[in-house]
Amino acid sequence: MSTTIQLFATCLIDTLHPAAGEAVVKVLQRVGVEVEFPQAQTCCGQPAFNAGMHAEARKMAQHTITTFEADPAPVVVPSGSCTAMLRHGYPELFADDPTWLSRAQALAARTFEFTEYLVDEMGIVDVGAYFPHKITYHPSCHLLRGIGVDRQPRALLAHVRGAELVELPAAEECCGFGGVFSVEHPEISAEMLKRKTSNIESTDAPVIVTCDTGCLLHINGGLHRQEKRPRVVHIAEILNTTLLQKPFTAENAESAEF
Amino acid sequence: MSQNPFHAHIHKAIANPVLQAALDANADRRVQARKTAFTTLEEPLEVLRQRAHSVRAETIAQLDHYLEQFIANAQANGMIVHRAANAEEAVNIVLKIAGNLPQRNTKDESVVHLRGSRPLLIAKSKTMVSEEINLNAALEAAGLTPVETDLGEYIVQLRGEKPSHIITPAVHLRREEVGETFHEKLGIPLTTDIPTLTDAARAALRQTFLEADIGLSGVNFGVAESGALCIVTNEGNGRMVTTLPPVHIALMGMERLVPTFDDLALMLSLLPRSATGQKISVYTQIIHAPRGANESDGPAERHLIILDNGRAKLRGTPLNDALLCIRCGACLNACPIFREIGGHAYVGALGEHTPYPGPIGSVISPGLFGSANFGQLAQASTLCGACKEACPVDIDLPGMLLRIRAGLDGKTGDGRRRKENTSGVGLPFSVKLGLKAFTWAAVSPGRFRLAQKLAATFGRILSPRAEQIKLPAFTGWGFSKDMVRPAAQTFRKRFKKMDNPSIGEKAQEHVGTLAGWQVKKTTPRQQDSTLVNQFESELISLSGNFTPCTTETLSDAILTLLNERGIDEIMSWNEAHLPAGLLDSLQRAGIRIGQADQPHIRAGLTGALGAAANTGTLAISSGTGRPQSVSLLPQIHIAVLNKSDIKKNLRELLQFPEIRKATSTALISGPSRTADIEMTLTIGVHGPGELHVLVTQ
Ligand code: SF4
Repeated sequence: MSTTIQLFATCLIDTLHPAAGEAVVKVLQRVGVEVEFPQAQTCCGQPAFNAGMHAEARKMAQHTITTFEADPAPVVVPSGSCTAMLRHGYPELFADDPTWLSRAQALAARTFEFTEYLVDEMGIVDVGAYFPHKITYHPSCHLLRGIGVDRQPRALLAHVRGAELVELPAAEECCGFGGVFSVEHPEISAEMLKRKTSNIESTDAPVIVTCDTGCLLHINGGLHRQEKRPRVVHIAEILNTTLLQKPFTAENAESAEF
Repeated sequence: MSQNPFHAHIHKAIANPVLQAALDANADRRVQARKTAFTTLEEPLEVLRQRAHSVRAETIAQLDHYLEQFIANAQANGMIVHRAANAEEAVNIVLKIAGNLPQRNTKDESVVHLRGSRPLLIAKSKTMVSEEINLNAALEAAGLTPVETDLGEYIVQLRGEKPSHIITPAVHLRREEVGETFHEKLGIPLTTDIPTLTDAARAALRQTFLEADIGLSGVNFGVAESGALCIVTNEGNGRMVTTLPPVHIALMGMERLVPTFDDLALMLSLLPRSATGQKISVYTQIIHAPRGANESDGPAERHLIILDNGRAKLRGTPLNDALLCIRCGACLNACPIFREIGGHAYVGALGEHTPYPGPIGSVISPGLFGSANFGQLAQASTLCGACKEACPVDIDLPGMLLRIRAGLDGKTGDGRRRKENTSGVGLPFSVKLGLKAFTWAAVSPGRFRLAQKLAATFGRILSPRAEQIKLPAFTGWGFSKDMVRPAAQTFRKRFKKMDNPSIGEKAQEHVGTLAGWQVKKTTPRQQDSTLVNQFESELISLSGNFTPCTTETLSDAILTLLNERGIDEIMSWNEAHLPAGLLDSLQRAGIRIGQADQPHIRAGLTGALGAAANTGTLAISSGTGRPQSVSLLPQIHIAVLNKSDIKKNLRELLQFPEIRKATSTALISGPSRTADIEMTLTIGVHGPGELHVLVTQ
């Protein structure tokens, strides 16, 4: 029996980091999930909501709700902050509008962050990934504190064959992105980013894993400006790294090369 | 950069290496201390947090009822209660009380002499309400002399600054600055030795306590069921100012109530842990009344000023939950923004100061003082949620910052139904315009695709080769990072090209399931020690001394202690309140019993009402024959505690009926201490520097 989900790729992945989207699709397919991508999707409305522009955010929320209502399949979002937006932001936006509120709540109830879907909904912690390098993990704020997802990505990473997981110092600290904040308060954002990148440097991990593309772009942009290698990847990109880009088995673990 | 004073302050703060070092040290140490402190809770933190949240939420929902109950009880206890609608009223009430004061009548002639015709002296312990109403400036303008006695506040006052943190006012300073200030203002030799600096402040302030005409304090909690004021301090200055001067004025925000003593115990299990990483503060005072008819100390008058100043109108608005705050400062310490800019940078659009910085400050400053000028503070957050996570009463601070940004601060009284053109509070027009344009594109997939295509083309023009575009600094983003070039092919395009084979069950065979993976469970802590053992180890960890004895060995134990220190005169409670014959046998051994208000006496002997084992706390209630000064003025405090009066925890300790009626009860946890300079712990500030508890079988 195969499961079908609707992928909400998020506007950042769609526009700026499509490789993560492809990896999400492949990992889901590998564990037997059929992926649909409603082409009408755009942005969840978080930038406007976080800026305090509720009228604009509401329009985008209505668009998103309508887009994913067409199909009853669960919605999988490869982003902690967009999941948080659907789960907590939408009900707040429609607190005074019972009709839209119930539609928002119905959608929120079947919306899952990518790692949360794999681990909590499907019961999968091992997707057959193979990545024989050091990895460090940056838990993004909205994933960790916004929707309380932390053990799920860590469990998935713990099962990546060959990977050595090293703890990022002060991992739970914000990288300073914060959407409009990084534009409105560039100086503070810069200081926070500096601390994040120097913590990253201290691990000498060649790869930093995160579940949010916002942090990914922010930290990579900072590393590049500091003339260091941008090397933050989306967790799906690591989980998609298998021996043969096909189901992992004991046989090919021995024979194949990475 | 923009001309907004907020940005200017931020710039200055980030460029100040001393401030940066101080703030980094604060964040690192406070956050760690808080986490460690929470490992010693009796119940899971989350359970206590949620309980504390609902106690506070219920109190705020029924605030009129609890205020009425609280005020009626406080008045019945003999307190003079004033209500102030705003800052000006509160200031005027203080001035009026001061104006009505007769010349101080004291037995101590040196005090009379010193007083002469000098201005009224007001000894203050820490109160954020006083900062809120800008009381010091008003007092000085009226010719009075306010002296801050909390070490951090004292340093800040000497420097002519404002506190930069609601718990640790001098957190922006390093020991070098404090040393220079003390050298300049107190005339001590230049030093960076923290105990020496603390001692200099102690010496300078001692006289202030003894001479002050008015003691002015804040209030951490009012307890509605008995009308009690609860005041929490570490240094002992809070006890001094509420005990020694003839008049005590307490300033309290109208929301700072808890219904019962059980609720108080709950708050006290969270407040010090969150604020300073202590299980309990050294002094938790529970005050009911002015000096009783037969009591020998305590102020003859106690005034309580309950301040509204914008609080009542926050109730029922989207910012209602800001009123749940217990002012622990944990959200400031956890906040990455506060860590970068410090408390002084939080200013209004015209550069106005707010006493409340950090996450809670960014909510209540606009809430209390208006979002027109302070709304911009709410934009200085990444909404990372570290504040909410740190908050002991689980206030949704990020949620409220968002509501302020959306113009939903309820100022007009109509809550959520504000006109939408008030949204985007604190953002420049260009940013709002950009977001409007983005919305216009995002609600139509066609326009969105077009926008993506334009972005990709534009990106390739800006940066034909490199993956990352170097944006100029004025864009904000380009200040410290590059921007990845929009993908030539969006994900939505790529998705169409991906084949979508469902590998199905075959694939599932190859992957592990949750079976092999276990949620880590924490094992419950063992409660194996007996109450007295637990009390002993807690007391010792607070730098207190524990001596087990019997009624027979008690006086010898005390004599040994006194002899070792060459002490032959003590102050003491009356014999009626001590084990029978104790004072007699001490006197027979040559110990003199002096007056309880003599500051030169080095040791004080008291009994104790009871103790809490899990925090090492002693309860000392005052009353006739039990002066407060005995456990407060001398350098050494010796307390006799009956073993059977040791209770499990604060909640049980607070059930002693005596606590609910005594004029004042001090819950004492170790000798006085401070960590106001660089968070370095120094034992022995204004209260006793040695605490000896003799536990009788
Ligand atoms: S909002 Fe919470 S964490 Fe911040 S000071 Fe108030 S009680 Fe403490």
